[in-house]
Amino acid sequence: MNVECHQAIVVGGGPAGLAAAIRLKEKGVDDVVVLEREHRTGGILRQCIHDGFGLTRFGETLSGPEYAQRFVDRAEELGITCLTDTTVLTLEADRTLTTSGPAGLKKLRGDAVILTMGCRERTRGALAIPGSRPAGIYTAGVAQEYINLRNLMVGREVVILGSGDIGLIMARRMTLEGAHVKGVYEVQPYPSGLPRNIEQCLNDYHIPLHLSHTVTDIHGRERLEGVTISQVDERFRPIPGTEERVDCDTLILSVGLIPAGDIANGSGLAVDGRTKGAFVDEHYQTNLPGVFSAGNVLHVHDLVDFVSLEAEALATAAAEYLRAGALPPCPLEVQAGANVGHVIPQRISGTRSFTLSLRVRQPMKKVTLTVAQNGREVLRRKLPKALPAEMIQLTIPAEKLEAAGDLEVSVQ
Amino acid sequence: MTRAFTCIICPNGCEITAEYEGTQVHAIEGATCPKGEDYVRQELTDPRRNIATSIPVEGGELPLVSVRLDKPIPKKDIFSVMDAINRLHVKAPTAIGQVVLADVCGLGANVIITKNVAAL
Amino acid sequence: MQQSYDVVVIGGGVVGSAIARELSRYKLRIAVLEKESDVCTQTSGRNTGMLHAGFLYKTGTLKAICAVEGNQEFDQVARELDVPFKRTGKLIVGFTDEDRQRLENFMARGEANGVKGLEMIDRARMDELDPSAGGNFAMWCPASGILDPFLYTIALAENAVHNGVEYHLNCAFTGEERQAGGAHLLHTTRGDFLTRWVVNSAGLNSAVVSGQLGIPGYVIKPVKGEYFVLDKLAGQFAKIPVYPAPNPDNTFDTHATPTVDGNVLVGPDSQLARDFQDYESTQAAMDGLIESGSRMFKHMERGYFIRNFAGIRPKRIDPETGVVQDFVLECRDDVPGVVNLVGIESPGLTSALPLARRAVALIAQREALEPNPDFDPIRHGIRRFADMNDAEREAAIAENPDYGEIYCRCEKVTRAEILQAIHNPLGVHTVNGVKVRTRATMGRCQGGYCETRITEALHQELGEEFQDIDLGPAGSWMFTGSVKGGDRA
Repeated sequence: MNVECHQAIVVGGGPAGLAAAIRLKEKGVDDVVVLEREHRTGGILRQCIHDGFGLTRFGETLSGPEYAQRFVDRAEELGITCLTDTTVLTLEADRTLTTSGPAGLKKLRGDAVILTMGCRERTRGALAIPGSRPAGIYTAGVAQEYINLRNLMVGREVVILGSGDIGLIMARRMTLEGAHVKGVYEVQPYPSGLPRNIEQCLNDYHIPLHLSHTVTDIHGRERLEGVTISQVDERFRPIPGTEERVDCDTLILSVGLIPAGDIANGSGLAVDGRTKGAFVDEHYQTNLPGVFSAGNVLHVHDLVDFVSLEAEALATAAAEYLRAGALPPCPLEVQAGANVGHVIPQRISGTRSFTLSLRVRQPMKKVTLTVAQNGREVLRRKLPKALPAEMIQLTIPAEKLEAAGDLEVSVQ
Repeated sequence: MTRAFTCIICPNGCEITAEYEGTQVHAIEGATCPKGEDYVRQELTDPRRNIATSIPVEGGELPLVSVRLDKPIPKKDIFSVMDAINRLHVKAPTAIGQVVLADVCGLGANVIITKNVAAL
Repeated sequence: MQQSYDVVVIGGGVVGSAIARELSRYKLRIAVLEKESDVCTQTSGRNTGMLHAGFLYKTGTLKAICAVEGNQEFDQVARELDVPFKRTGKLIVGFTDEDRQRLENFMARGEANGVKGLEMIDRARMDELDPSAGGNFAMWCPASGILDPFLYTIALAENAVHNGVEYHLNCAFTGEERQAGGAHLLHTTRGDFLTRWVVNSAGLNSAVVSGQLGIPGYVIKPVKGEYFVLDKLAGQFAKIPVYPAPNPDNTFDTHATPTVDGNVLVGPDSQLARDFQDYESTQAAMDGLIESGSRMFKHMERGYFIRNFAGIRPKRIDPETGVVQDFVLECRDDVPGVVNLVGIESPGLTSALPLARRAVALIAQREALEPNPDFDPIRHGIRRFADMNDAEREAAIAENPDYGEIYCRCEKVTRAEILQAIHNPLGVHTVNGVKVRTRATMGRCQGGYCETRITEALHQELGEEFQDIDLGPAGSWMFTGSVKGGDRA
């Protein structure tokens, strides 16, 4: 099979991929190809019809499809090639991609390959929830696709497990479309979605949120008939005697998102066990030279605006890589210290400014975020609150960094 | 009286406390931008929300097209506005920004299309 | 409505379908009544997928004879029926002198049963076969293998249909009336069936059906086993099935078995089921599998969990002693026209065709069967994109562009395969029917990407209303209707 060569190949035409492709083109990289498995670009935003997108990126509040369309239009203006109906099967370490589509099998190799495939939803099986396996159990994103794209209503009496943002959004969507959402149950003692979504998706519609509760049994052979809810202790173990049956025909799971980097399995791409995405340096370059990663396939974001901004930063670096043939080496490690769940990037040069992204492990109020190098404070910032639901981002200026010594990020 | 709010204007979700008597606001604390103060004043006098849903599209590549309001409506009118939107349908192609119902329920907001759906 | 047949088989599991297929070698009008919406939804589909070698069963029993016979012929069976099968061999590992003694006993028993190639091996040889296997020594059984129990059952059923057998799905047998002249009038939830012969291969319900057909007294104990399905990323660590030395009662503790598709099954445990429909996973059993599974398989990690399931083995027991008994396969002179199979549990998958031939022989002993000259033993499965190399993929897409369109990302199942599964010869029209025929939705995202596409295809291909689409069993509806515009616009 012939191998088709390009300067830059972007895998995934969602908000990250389109933003990266556009920025590459704007930075003078002419030969950019976007590979998209769907018939249309835009990614998951096509089904996120609620508003609230774009405040950071565009300074106005848009629905998902409107936000996506701005990138789709700009890509078209710039004449970027988007190969739709094209699924990437595998990535190899030499940046060769094998794709499949109704038009046939293809092999493409990029001087730079940009991974922007987004994420997938954690399932019931991954959680190992006991009980029967009837119809009526949907992940929030699948329910959202049925309801918003395919005009199919998935149920009437609804219980939602997990307070992730998509679950909260679906609580409101299903209520508006006539379903009865009986409650949202969250195993953690705090919500995993954004506070404003608790307010406008649950409180506005009087949908109760039960923290430190989870589903411990599922009932029904054909269609779901009900779930057993239990309170959990501080180690998330169900407390005997707190079981309560809630009748419902639908269980929506909003229990976490996982980067969908599956095509890179077998390529030698190094994956961080905490983010489930790639290890990257400050240029968003992975351990495979010329392979870059950003957006939800790198680490799950709370807002699409940050996804696009991160992809644009990636593209700026990738354009430099293509122009110069290399980027400054990044020998310094960035470590997650006290109360920090993960950090992006995991490696830096120490000679350039970079954007640090992190999430805290538990909700905290009036905290101080500290970045230290060799025990020396590089940056300190006071925050009124820090929530696991919210990604924290800040710029670390080059002049504060030294060329040697690992960084540690902590929140206290 | 004192009441706590979670601001919904932006993703920061500031926790804001307001001291007030009736519709008279005495003090607002916790907002990190002026929009938060405006939000709280609005919540105390006339809480408003935007809503998003979809309507059937005839002859399109998708069975539905998404819509929203171009400005928020009183919270109490959400379900009557939903009823009005539920009676709508549109022909493909559709274009973002296209008004499918002006001044819904006399509330001054338009129902607008938020997705380009191509004709089949 | 009343339909008339020479033979009606009650139960379309692996044994019922094997019997139907073997009967179709003769000029007979044959029907299979299956109470579920597909053929492999109960015991036949809910197991480890092992092709057993036959060393575990007492010499001279049907279990031993049929397992050994079924094992030895399976390469040819798999070729004829085009089903995935790997003769992996199996390690039964031991740690103690007591284990060694038991393994040596089983080796002797296996040899008496006719199992070929058994040998005791040391650690060095184990390292060559599978370095990740635990234990100090092992019995190596090269005859054991793994197969896809769904596809094997489906293949038997499809080959039966290809040779003229009629399947009636969602059709539950409710009772029998003897007609003058000895024919059976079978009542079902889908009308009456008149037949000269009736075969009871009702699996979990075989004792009940046996009683309804005039042979009371059998007792079946439902023994449930729960499983974890692990990601294919864990499959790289499990090359061949590794079992612990059997317990004194000849059962195995929890073990890890690779599947023919590259996943790993951890299980089954063994517990008395509440009833014959008790497929629920329980927290206690899951905790137990995690604990005991971790001893046999080092990579029993939460990150690899994909799904849980449970199966029920219909164990026939002696009502007095509670001791598990051999398979029953009989045709009694005092109950003519009935071939009765009761308590077909493990190794039922391996024994299905040998049992089927013996069932047909019982009929042939009582009436002359005329061979069907058109009988064709060959069945072609759905060609899998995932199994093709690049050149084969290119050719497949060139011939049918649907082979280029990936519906199930995790398992790389294409639209072409989904459409073939929807138009399956048995007329199964459920999402799970597509699942077991193609593996779509069986990967790590569990249908997060492809389920919406499968329901759409079921609607488009069959003209089925969305409200009428079932996930699996009748009544497992997925949609209440359209969101907007009355009917779906």
